[in-house]
Amino acid sequence: METKTYITISEATLGYKKNKQNVEVLKNINLNFNATDFIGIVGLNGTGKSTLLKTLCGLLAPLNGNIYINNKNYNQLTTLELAKQISVVLTEKISGFNLTCFDAVAMGQLPYTSLFNTLTAQNYTVINNAIELCGLKNHQYKLLNELSDGLFQKTMIAKCVAQQTPIMLLDEPSAFLDYASKHELFLLLQKFTIQQQKCVLVSSHDLDLVLKYCTKLLVVNNNSAELISVVSAPKNSIFIELSGGHFK
Amino acid sequence: MFKSNISKFIILLTLFLVGALLSLTMGGSQSFNVLDADTNNFIFWQIRFPKTITAILAGSTLSIAGLILQLMFRNPLAGPYVLGISSGASLFVAITFLAGNSFHLFSNYFFGKSMVVISSIFGSLIITFLILALSKKISNNVILLLIGLMLSQICGALQGFLEYFANPNSLKAFVIWGMGSLGGTTNLDVLIYSPIAIIGLVAVLFFIKPLTAFLLGENYATNSGINYSKNRFYLILISSILTGVTTAFCGPIAFVGIAVPILSRIIFKTSNQKTHVISCILIGSCVLLFSDALCHHLSKTAILPINMITTFVGAPLVIYLLFKSKQW
Repeated sequence: METKTYITISEATLGYKKNKQNVEVLKNINLNFNATDFIGIVGLNGTGKSTLLKTLCGLLAPLNGNIYINNKNYNQLTTLELAKQISVVLTEKISGFNLTCFDAVAMGQLPYTSLFNTLTAQNYTVINNAIELCGLKNHQYKLLNELSDGLFQKTMIAKCVAQQTPIMLLDEPSAFLDYASKHELFLLLQKFTIQQQKCVLVSSHDLDLVLKYCTKLLVVNNNSAELISVVSAPKNSIFIELSGGHFK
Repeated sequence: MFKSNISKFIILLTLFLVGALLSLTMGGSQSFNVLDADTNNFIFWQIRFPKTITAILAGSTLSIAGLILQLMFRNPLAGPYVLGISSGASLFVAITFLAGNSFHLFSNYFFGKSMVVISSIFGSLIITFLILALSKKISNNVILLLIGLMLSQICGALQGFLEYFANPNSLKAFVIWGMGSLGGTTNLDVLIYSPIAIIGLVAVLFFIKPLTAFLLGENYATNSGINYSKNRFYLILISSILTGVTTAFCGPIAFVGIAVPILSRIIFKTSNQKTHVISCILIGSCVLLFSDALCHHLSKTAILPINMITTFVGAPLVIYLLFKSKQW
């Protein structure tokens, strides 16, 4: 079976606008991400991990170049069409307004509901499956601020699952998690890439986790991004620098 | 869970009807029965009826405006009055009102009223956009409240400055309006007020989905396929129309906009915004209908200003929430 290319970035410059001036974070990058890819994005803070993820999910516009999502030109996709292709877990913490775990997961179905956001039986099936898959069944009626960091992170991942997108992006999901939760989280993501042929991009500072579970590494440094295999990572000069030489 | 929600709605609906009846039996005269039929008729249709309709409209519009602001700013302490939006509306009404009276612009009733309504909505819009621009630089809920308070003070000071130069006749009418009152509207006023208010309230129903998405904040809303800035613009427009039109006819009414959505979340314990839109309309109406009844009941000789009652209910609720620091 031929693997499908989900994301193509060609000669693109990514960054953001500050005081009407372009701040270029990643310059002229060329990348391909395929189905079943589990990509770990590593790099120092401020090198462009979040910029890459935010650009892909439509929160930042690329400054230059072309991006193709599922062979469609990124610039021609509407917000809604993009939401059906890419789901994202960000670092922000959400709580209040009576939001329960179930409500947050149900937000994943927003791109598919009618004008008045009435959930149909089909919507409920998708949401309940996502809750079950992420092991949140016993916590679904808890308020978001009652959840532990690990459960909250799982809730947001369940939201992505409920969004039924081929591509999932996660921005530092393992920060603030305890040892066991970190491994559970990466195992869960690994399952999505293998069982559902999703393409998962996850940025993380936990190098050992990334090496253990991911299929490829995206090393971000000095305005550039390089895709390397997990096996070659310990010999990569930037990776050695990142690990402080503690990886042997 | 669905069944208990229905029973809550039935209780609210009953309270609403009781409040409406109570409001219809008060005002105009304390000794209703001893007067002749013509006077009774006049009191009922020309004084009590428009007052009751005004209470319902004002309660619904301010509560929904508060609900929109709270979801948009993701701040349970937002509301048209505490953010200074009502004061902005008042200031622009003051400018129109006092200028209009000095230049005799208001000889035509409909022209004069429309000018007041338009300037009131315009004032609400300006303050809302100002708050929005400022809120991007801060993330703290309480600081947003303080900024609203300062804006409100600035508008108040400017308004005081205008009043200083106003002629005594127009000043008196304006000061009474500024204290906030449900009884100042005539049937003709209601004829202009109700269509604008109802259009605003119905429009909100078409923004249930963006309002729901706003619960997760700008980034997640965008990732849910919601065009954030477009929807935010329309929602600001709607909340400004709702606040503006009510302020134009009733003056600035305190704390209804902030307290009712909070009450609704406490009562219904859900994040379903469809439930909250309907319950805010009912609870908001109830609050103003009963406040109005209380105003008439507490004083035999004069009608107390409605803001006195709403502040006594709303302000302690806000203080309670600040202490509790749990987000509603």
